[in-house]
Amino acid sequence: MFRDRLTHRLRQMMFVSGETAEPSVDTTTLIEEIVRQQVVEILARSTTLATRRGVRSISTDDLIFLIRHDKAKVSRLKTFLSWKDVRKNVKDSDDKGGADAADFAAADDPMAGGVAAGPQDVASKPKNKRARVGLAWDVNSFYSVQVPERDDEEDEEEEEQNYATLQRLAAADERTKHMTKEEYVFWSECRQASFTYRKSKRFREWAGFGIVTESKPNDDIVDILGFLTFEIVQTLTEEALKVKEREDREKNRRGGENGESMKKRKRETGLFDPPEEGRTPVEPRHIREAYRKLQATPNKNIAMLLHNGRLPARMPLRLVSFDVFYLLC
Amino acid sequence: MSLGHHHAGLPPGHLRPPDDLHDARSINGYSRFLSGSRTPQMRASADADGSHAGGLISDADIAGDEDPRIPMFRELYKRSEAQINTLFANQKSAEDARRAAVADSEEPQTKTQRADEPAPPPAPPKKPARKLDDDDYDEYDDEDEDEEAPSPPKPKSLGPSQEASSFPSPSRPFGSMSQAPDAQRETKKETLEDIRKKLEEDKKATEEAARRSFHTLFYTLENDRDAMLDQQRLEESERQVEAEMSGQANAGNNANPNATGYGSLSSANLGASSLTLKNLIARIDMKRTMVQASDAELRSLMSEVRKNRSKWASEDKIGQEELYEAAEKVLSELKAMTEHSTAFLTRVNKRDAPDYYTIIKHPMDLGTMTKKLKALQYKSKQEFVDDINLIWSNCFKYNTNPEHFLRKHALYMKKETEKLVPLIPEIVIRDRAEVEAEERRLQMAELDGAEESDDEPIMSSRGRKAPGKSSSKKGTAPVRNTPSGSEPPAPGGQSQASQPPGPVRSDSDAALEGTQNGFATPPPGTQTPSDPAGVGVGAGLPGSQGDAMEIDGLITPSTALSALPASGVEFEDPEYKVWKQVTKKDRAVIAAERHRLFKGDKLNSDEPALLRTKAGMRRWIRNQQQGNAEGDKTRELTAQGMGPGTAGATLAEGIEVDEDRVIPDYYDVMSAVPDLPAQLFWKEDSDGNIVDASEEFLRILPKGSFTQPDSKLARKMDANMRQMQETRKVCSKVGIVKQMQLQSQMYQNQFQKYQPEPFVELDVPAHVMNDGGPVIAPWVCRAALQRSVAKIFYHTGFEEYQPSALEAVTDVASDFFQKIGETLKSYMEIPKVPATETAVEATTAPQWKRAYTEPEIVLHTLASVGIDVEGLESYIKDDVERLGTKLSTVHDRLRSLLSELLRPALADGGEDGSSAFHDGSEQFVGGDFAEDIDEDFFGFKELGLDREFGLATLSVPLHLLQNRMYNAAQAQNTSAAQTVTLFSPPAPYPRISAETLPSQIGLVQGFFHSKLQANNNEPLVEDLELPPKQRPMATRPRLPASGKIPPPSAPSGPTTSPQKRPMPASASAPQAGKSGGEPSKKKLKKNSGVAQGADGEDAADGTKAPPTRRPPRPPLRLPTPQPARPATRASKSKAKARARARRRTAARLQRPPKVTTAPRPSRTGWRTKRDDVRWDLVLGR
Repeated sequence: MFRDRLTHRLRQMMFVSGETAEPSVDTTTLIEEIVRQQVVEILARSTTLATRRGVRSISTDDLIFLIRHDKAKVSRLKTFLSWKDVRKNVKDSDDKGGADAADFAAADDPMAGGVAAGPQDVASKPKNKRARVGLAWDVNSFYSVQVPERDDEEDEEEEEQNYATLQRLAAADERTKHMTKEEYVFWSECRQASFTYRKSKRFREWAGFGIVTESKPNDDIVDILGFLTFEIVQTLTEEALKVKEREDREKNRRGGENGESMKKRKRETGLFDPPEEGRTPVEPRHIREAYRKLQATPNKNIAMLLHNGRLPARMPLRLVSFDVFYLLC
Repeated sequence: MSLGHHHAGLPPGHLRPPDDLHDARSINGYSRFLSGSRTPQMRASADADGSHAGGLISDADIAGDEDPRIPMFRELYKRSEAQINTLFANQKSAEDARRAAVADSEEPQTKTQRADEPAPPPAPPKKPARKLDDDDYDEYDDEDEDEEAPSPPKPKSLGPSQEASSFPSPSRPFGSMSQAPDAQRETKKETLEDIRKKLEEDKKATEEAARRSFHTLFYTLENDRDAMLDQQRLEESERQVEAEMSGQANAGNNANPNATGYGSLSSANLGASSLTLKNLIARIDMKRTMVQASDAELRSLMSEVRKNRSKWASEDKIGQEELYEAAEKVLSELKAMTEHSTAFLTRVNKRDAPDYYTIIKHPMDLGTMTKKLKALQYKSKQEFVDDINLIWSNCFKYNTNPEHFLRKHALYMKKETEKLVPLIPEIVIRDRAEVEAEERRLQMAELDGAEESDDEPIMSSRGRKAPGKSSSKKGTAPVRNTPSGSEPPAPGGQSQASQPPGPVRSDSDAALEGTQNGFATPPPGTQTPSDPAGVGVGAGLPGSQGDAMEIDGLITPSTALSALPASGVEFEDPEYKVWKQVTKKDRAVIAAERHRLFKGDKLNSDEPALLRTKAGMRRWIRNQQQGNAEGDKTRELTAQGMGPGTAGATLAEGIEVDEDRVIPDYYDVMSAVPDLPAQLFWKEDSDGNIVDASEEFLRILPKGSFTQPDSKLARKMDANMRQMQETRKVCSKVGIVKQMQLQSQMYQNQFQKYQPEPFVELDVPAHVMNDGGPVIAPWVCRAALQRSVAKIFYHTGFEEYQPSALEAVTDVASDFFQKIGETLKSYMEIPKVPATETAVEATTAPQWKRAYTEPEIVLHTLASVGIDVEGLESYIKDDVERLGTKLSTVHDRLRSLLSELLRPALADGGEDGSSAFHDGSEQFVGGDFAEDIDEDFFGFKELGLDREFGLATLSVPLHLLQNRMYNAAQAQNTSAAQTVTLFSPPAPYPRISAETLPSQIGLVQGFFHSKLQANNNEPLVEDLELPPKQRPMATRPRLPASGKIPPPSAPSGPTTSPQKRPMPASASAPQAGKSGGEPSKKKLKKNSGVAQGADGEDAADGTKAPPTRRPPRPPLRLPTPQPARPATRASKSKAKARARARRRTAARLQRPPKVTTAPRPSRTGWRTKRDDVRWDLVLGR
């Protein structure tokens, strides 16, 4: 049940990432396994981090710490978390209702009594607008005193992070440029695909919560994991597509004249042929190759093993990261 | 211990004291022989060669032997040389004249003379050398001369030219008959001489070649062990012989009739010297009773005095000494060829070869020969040579297989024997008696012509009387009388005749003997005309051969070298072979010495310590100089530098045993001298002052080797760190202020001051180095790295670190940098590649370049350690530059936060003097501004209270400030949300006074009236209008911080209401005094504020400042000086008013926010009541 759903979701995600054809079950199963392995690894590592802090349960910080070098992701997570916080607060005030607020209003201001709680809430709690998520390794945490927020100063860093996000959006835009309305609707539906949405319990089982980590993870963590899984699938798919493209090119070249002309012809007729038509889906070997590439040990990790160092038989699993820079390093 | 101390010729293990020299030589002159002889001929040739190592050494040696008498002999030498020169100057002309005469060959006698004459030319150079060797012998000579001078009736000062004519007669009788043989004899002598000379030269040349090769070739030590073992075997056999001989020795001694003691010394056989010592002996005999010594002692003394006799010397065997000397030499030489001689050293063992003695009937070996030699069993050279040849022929006979290795050895040995045998003079030992008898016969025959026969008894009493004595004596006698005392040219023939053994025993003693004998000893048998054997042999040697050998002698180095491989025993590198040959013995000795230093695998602690010797080192240096010789300038420099040293050295060198080994320098480990850097030479300038070269190479380590070099990045990082420190300072202030807001009581030392020092990297103290290059100080380097690591840590945000963490990271960093360094190195060491691809075609030498350029190397290295330039750039951009901007924004925010927090307390600083603190809250936080202005702020000092309270500083008690902070904070916390005024405040209620009283409701009129009366009809002041401190308070008293219960009469007693209590002086005075005309206005304002802001105000004040919290003022504060308090007061009220205004506006805009920093005060019943009242008011409005 969850399996089917997962497969479905995976296909959606892959579609979003640019895979227009229908991938086989083999492919999705492979991806799923990879994703699960990654999730387990993430959980295990954050558990280790938490233990090192002396805490049993993992926190969002632990998770973010694992991907701290991937600035775009961190930024998106921060944004996500802050908005989630806002939503939760609003929901809280919605839920708990007037008790506090009404009391407050009644006690302080009789005029406020009649006004709807919502807007007043927002108005009275300007900081609720977006509580910035502070990270333990930020500059702000250098000091013993909490640095007051100031809205007027837009963080330069955030701008850059936004830039990364914008890049992604631009890519998505490029992808959807030629879509029809229906296609776009479908695409945007797919965009919302998540492993965790409304399925957090199943997701937890799937990811091995309770086995890998003892604590019961809170909502945020599951959400972050959902986000990360999406990213992983996307990265994998993109990489696999690249692999496939290269492979096709090789094939065409080896195909000689015939292939060349085929390609040419194809390009010419591309206007009229829907591109999906002639495409073959990504196959497991592409995925495997993409995964291998993503798992390549960067030089940096073995720098200390130079000159008489011995390479360990097995390098630790690498978290699939979108950032190419950190891939290389 | 030193290798250098051992005499080469000694058995290993024998430590020879330096004064053993004579013994060592006389026992075994072999090493001498090897090291280069000092025979005159050799000397001459060596001089001609130019490379004169042997001569140098032996000179020094001589000096060493007789150092105390050196000056004397130098003097003597000079004198004699001068005389010789004059003599020869005269002689030259005479000789020429005579040569002409020889050509005519008229007179046999002159011919004899002339034939003898050519010999002298080599003699003169010999003489000086000898001269040094001789010490006592000159005296002997003199003695002899003195003795003999009177007897021969010759004119003393006659020149040689005269001699020729004036002494023809003595030799004439047999001169005629010996004329032909004479000529023969001469040639034969020459050839004998030549053979020896040639052999010597060969040896010398070989040695020289080997020596030269020392500098050019390095031979491994692998053969040393064999050499040592061979040598040991040789010694073993010698010992054996010695042991066997010792048994016979007694018999021999006994057999010697001379050894038996006699009553008188004169009858004791003291050898040749008995004659020279005759007078002395006679004297001693005369006074025998007065001499406190036994005969034996005297004899040993005597024999000591004349040491020149060798052990072979015998009184009644003529020719024995010469023969045996030479034979022994040859024998030992043969034995010393251990490489080949080993098998022939001892008798063949029956066990080894059971059938040997069946095949070989007459076994012979070198050991047996030695025995026979020592037992004096050889009567002639022939016997000796026969025995030697017997050995080889035995070998050939027994080992018939032509491939047999022993045959090779035997062959080699045979060749060697053939080379050596000519060295042995052809002597047949004859009994003295026999010879004398013969002589007498001869004399009888020619008695008529001989008048000097009366000399004969004297001469014949001497040990070795030559058969031809009478004839040579004639020639000799006149020349001896030359005043110089040195050997005159005339006896040249004589000395020449007796010379043959000379070269062989080139050794000092032997040589001396030769010289000595030159006068007295008759020529060996060969020279005797009546000796048929000698003549025969002499005749057998063709004259032409001598010439050929002469020629050979000129090209000796090559022949010597080529001769050896020609022997063909082993096919080896000839040079190596020569080397092995020449150095064998020394190597063996050295190896044995080395071997002795070890016991098993360990050092033998019982062995004497190895010591360096000056002589050894000097020798080493000399050899080195020769080695890198051929006249380069550095040598001169060295020599110059060493100048003073060498001058003084000769003496020291002489004192120490100098010895000569034919061995490369690297064998002499203990003498090796490391190269001295030029700056360490002991140099003197022209004035003789020592040039201190130390300044030229000492240098001070330049500053900054261990600090971070100045760079943009470094400056940025430093700025960031400084910024962090500043921000932390602000943070600590913020923390304190916040704490003040929360806490009602503060203590002076509650907070630690945070005063960070800026980081300064200290350099190492001035360090003096004595050469270039970096300082190799691992720990300093590590510390510097650690500091850098710590810096980066701080820069990353860590404020403090555990040492262990720092250590660990430093280790990692150093590891990492090491890897980088190694990678860099490996890239740099990649072999060079041709600079151009077309280098192959280029005929010229190809240009080489590095495989990588420097930037390439760096980039490759970075890539291999997983770093790229972009990574570094992004680090600098993100983690340094952007961090800097982030830090500064954070700093700004925190500053503003702090000023925000402090504003309530400092807002009105200008008026009340707190503007003194406008720069921040330094003094407030620290509370020690009183000290700055050096004022007894509270008069504590006057009262002596400071000591009583143990106040270290006269600072404002923190709670003074803290109170204000606290109150302000409380006020602010609630009012922060109420500062917005939407509506203008309503007009304040009028004060209740006598006038307004009627407008009140009737119920309270009575109450107010009584109040008014109590207040002297002044308008009533509302509680709210009062400053918080003066408001009516809860009755719960609190113990002040001082812990003393305040007296009940204290004005701060919280029991009375302000209306009832008289206005405190501190409160009323300023209002009256300071603010003069203002109070009304102020009050009005206040009142208005109070009247309509009552609602918000009360909520704020009442809640935030519950009376219970207010600390009662300690009684100590009573004497508070006036001016300060009103000021604070005024400012406070002003601040309050302002705050209130703000609050009021805010209150209408928004609800008070949730304040998380301060706990929300609980509502008290009292307050609720007030709230109710307020509600009423609000509703009623």
